[in-house]
Amino acid sequence: MHGMAYGQYERELRRQAAELNDLFLLLCYMEVVGLPNPATLYLLEIYPYLLEQFHLWHRRMGMDRSPLGTLPCC
Amino acid sequence: MLLSMRSLIEKRVLFFGGKGGVGKTTCASAMAVIASQAGKRVLLVSTDPAHSTSDMFERPIGPEPVQLLPNLHGLEIDGEFESQRYVANVKEQIRGLFGHHILKEATRQIDLAASMPGAEEMALFDRIGGLIRGEDERFDLIVFDTAPTGHTLRLIRMPELMEAWIRALSKSRHAMLGIEQDDSTDPVMLKLAERLENLREFRARLLSPRISAFVLVLVAERLPIEETARAIEQLKEAGVTIGGLVVNRVLPESSPDPFLRSRHDQEVIYLDEIEKRFKSYARVRVPQLPSDVHGITTLERLAGHLVGEKAFQ
Repeated sequence: MHGMAYGQYERELRRQAAELNDLFLLLCYMEVVGLPNPATLYLLEIYPYLLEQFHLWHRRMGMDRSPLGTLPCC
Repeated sequence: MLLSMRSLIEKRVLFFGGKGGVGKTTCASAMAVIASQAGKRVLLVSTDPAHSTSDMFERPIGPEPVQLLPNLHGLEIDGEFESQRYVANVKEQIRGLFGHHILKEATRQIDLAASMPGAEEMALFDRIGGLIRGEDERFDLIVFDTAPTGHTLRLIRMPELMEAWIRALSKSRHAMLGIEQDDSTDPVMLKLAERLENLREFRARLLSPRISAFVLVLVAERLPIEETARAIEQLKEAGVTIGGLVVNRVLPESSPDPFLRSRHDQEVIYLDEIEKRFKSYARVRVPQLPSDVHGITTLERLAGHLVGEKAFQ
């Protein structure tokens, strides 16, 4: 019983964490989806850190390969 | 009416702006020359994509500082050059931090992002920010010969915009890291914090009345007067200090020539208007010289009028 409640709690937390993750990715990659991003140049140096996150995102969304031709991470 | 801009020599950053063709380059160059002769180590920076400082000094000036006089260097900022330099810098920084695979992909992303519209303007902005922050310690005073008003006002508002943007990103990143990871151990967060700090310093120096001032150049005609009034409003709104107004190319009062006399009569009306509308700012009149201005000698002559050594009535 305790384990089940905890499991649900953890799932919810993971879901929320994933959403926050996605929001951050979107803010960084706005240009890729066609929205102007005033900070593009200032994000260049953090792109390598985000590549793995981006990969996790498209896998989580049920896409085996990167959906963005301009962002081929795998 | 104040007749001198001498006190401006003590600032660290001066902008010369105004409508196209009123003599921004001339006044900025003259100010740079006189400040260098007063012992300041000066860098004259042209931000107008259509550079004319090299014509003024009759020698090539490029995207790196070039010495023009003993205490004076010139620089013509070039967006393409700056964005290439920026990208090369980033690639250098991330080399050694990541494995081969990530580096290859990241490099591709970086090249792509750097080719997006706006990247050059952004790189230009970053270079200007560095100069304003005093990154280049060889110089005491940076004099900006700016592009026509609209472009420059946009540039002046950019640190604020970028700061808000990076702050939003930091917030989002902070929320993402949550309680699992400390902000101070996240490399992305650290990069964002560093950016934010630079932008803050850029803005603080830009808005400090002790450090920076904006000089508006105009001629005594209808359109430049209106544009100056608008620019003052917007600069005030942005919090930038107005260093004063240079009324350029004022005609001689007495002339035997009826054409010049008639032009002068009209000019007097506008000069009066300038006195009334801009009375709370320092104003300097620079006379129309008998020949056009280029080369050090004519610049020195004009500089005398700017700092009030040859008071013009």
